[in-house]
Amino acid sequence: MRKELNINHLTRVEGHGAVDIVIENSRLSEIRLRFTEGPRFFEFITRERLYTEIPKIVSRICGICYVSHRLASVFAVEDAFGVKVNRGIELLRSLLTVGEYLESHSLHLYFLALPDYMGYPSTLLMAKDYPNVVKRGFKLKEAGNRIMKLIGGKTVHGENILVGGFASIPSQEELKKVRRELLKVIPEIEATLFLFDGLDYPDFTSPHTLEMCLNSPSPCLFSSEVWLSDGTTFTKKEYELFVREDVSPYSTAKVSRVKGEPFLIGPLARVNRLFKEEELHPKVSEAVKRLKNTFPSKNSHLANLARAVELLDAAYRGVELIEELLSLYPFEPSVEVNPRAGTGFGVKEAPRGTLYHKYTFDSSGRCVGANIITPTAQLQSVIEEDLKAIVEESLEAEGEEIKKRAEVLVRAYDP
Amino acid sequence: MVKVGIVGLTGCSGCQCEILNCQDALLKLLTLVDFALFPLAKDGEFDGELDLLFVEGSVSTFLDKEKLLKLREKAKILVAVGSCACYGGVQAQRNDEAELEQMIREVYGKWELPFELFKPSPLSDFVEVDYFLPGCPVDKKQFVYTVASLLNGVKPFFPKLPVCHECKLSENECLLLKGVPCQGPVSYAGCGAPCTAKGVGCQGCRGDCDFPNHQEMLSLLTQRGLSYEDAVKFLKVFRGNSFKVRGLNEKGA
Repeated sequence: MRKELNINHLTRVEGHGAVDIVIENSRLSEIRLRFTEGPRFFEFITRERLYTEIPKIVSRICGICYVSHRLASVFAVEDAFGVKVNRGIELLRSLLTVGEYLESHSLHLYFLALPDYMGYPSTLLMAKDYPNVVKRGFKLKEAGNRIMKLIGGKTVHGENILVGGFASIPSQEELKKVRRELLKVIPEIEATLFLFDGLDYPDFTSPHTLEMCLNSPSPCLFSSEVWLSDGTTFTKKEYELFVREDVSPYSTAKVSRVKGEPFLIGPLARVNRLFKEEELHPKVSEAVKRLKNTFPSKNSHLANLARAVELLDAAYRGVELIEELLSLYPFEPSVEVNPRAGTGFGVKEAPRGTLYHKYTFDSSGRCVGANIITPTAQLQSVIEEDLKAIVEESLEAEGEEIKKRAEVLVRAYDP
Repeated sequence: MVKVGIVGLTGCSGCQCEILNCQDALLKLLTLVDFALFPLAKDGEFDGELDLLFVEGSVSTFLDKEKLLKLREKAKILVAVGSCACYGGVQAQRNDEAELEQMIREVYGKWELPFELFKPSPLSDFVEVDYFLPGCPVDKKQFVYTVASLLNGVKPFFPKLPVCHECKLSENECLLLKGVPCQGPVSYAGCGAPCTAKGVGCQGCRGDCDFPNHQEMLSLLTQRGLSYEDAVKFLKVFRGNSFKVRGLNEKGA
């Protein structure tokens, strides 16, 4: 007997995706995760453009993690031209990332993931029964948005994130206000952490063996070294040698593998690494002692709890970043940029995983080649492997139940 | 209850995120409207009639086109949200420079893709659009204003003034006078000029204001250090399909 299950439109995910499952004689015979997003040709539309245009264009790859795309491209351009920014600029970029994580992770946790565990079709429909939970979601998002708007100029696609720094920087008073606001949301984030610790996650062990993230104690602090869970580390220049991309026959996202294997990236990989290497922020470390779930974990659904851990990390880092920033005032908002021919590389931890940008420029600073590897493309294989495993465990269940389990699992990746 | 739909075609979801950022307005709206179709934030397929439909993203694939045509049939009022839906978006900026096949080969290394593609196009190439809310992303205040007006049976009105107008109102220092490349004089205001307030020139993400003088804009930009070709490309980033400079081939006219 042959049974086909199709999820034609994954809901509550940022892009467009579909899952096809074929079950024959009570055995899984085929599973495909298809990203049906139309291509936008970023590697093509950046060509022949001046380096000043690149961050603005690639910002539009993702409206939720635009800060990461923008900064990864800025790092790559600065790498190509040999530009070194000052400490103040670097810290403001980290603070922008704090804003991005607060916004992106709370959007995902409260608006995309939470309805799965609370039994609602949408968070908006939870507002009547759980007004305070919904308002907390909005409040955390807003805290992140304010930081991005203050530094970048807009909440989404802020244009003040430039090669060489910023056109202008916030005043010390504005930064002090951000610090006060961050301190105010920390209890709300702790409440989020315990809310997501208390959810009823399905029992599941992902078959993946390899995990990858940047070698850094926080996604808000930058690094250009990549860490693999098998003990290997590699540089941003070696990225394309390790992460091999192939064109998929059925998806517009390319498929990547490391050492021939699907690999996990994103919040769960990062938080697992922090636990293994004992690099958690001391205050986060205190809070996680009280959790009932433990890390490192191979339950992909716990990516949600990992996001809550990272929210807390982001808030504490934000407070510390501002303290150091205030001691540096006044500093130059930007450094001089002189284009030259060459290639540059940029890596960054976006909320959903490691991101890679590479550009080649001619001597006048026009882009002649680009390569961008997004988290979604890198996650395609590992999500498919997970889907296989969860469907195989669920073969006895009704079709609708199998689809539901598959959707909840895909959503945990925030693809 | 008024039925509202919010959907995305090919884009970055930034406009839908900006809509989700309208927290107070959304919490109030929930008591007045039914968000019948909002796949980014809500499960379930909806096949019924919609009173008000917001569409983000460009039409880039056969799936986009099919979805758009079907939704247009169901929607009393269709609002294009963001510059992708209004003009084709950043992905359309090189539509006039290359064939689709070249774009696909450069990115995927081959021509065959799992489904039929078009050059990224605005919604109005395929369906009638009732209102346009450009911007990258859409401006929150304009979204709330549009919903509030339409719910009250009032036509929303968007004067196509240049961004310079809003810079004056905000008392921003003129960046062109400081030598910074800025598209304010030819770009459609309504954003409140947040970029120029930070000292970054207007990037023209909302497209053209009424009667834009592109030729004069190009000469202002070339006087500020951009080559003529770079200045044209700078203007094209968000204008997508809509950008045509009279006598573009007569360089430096």
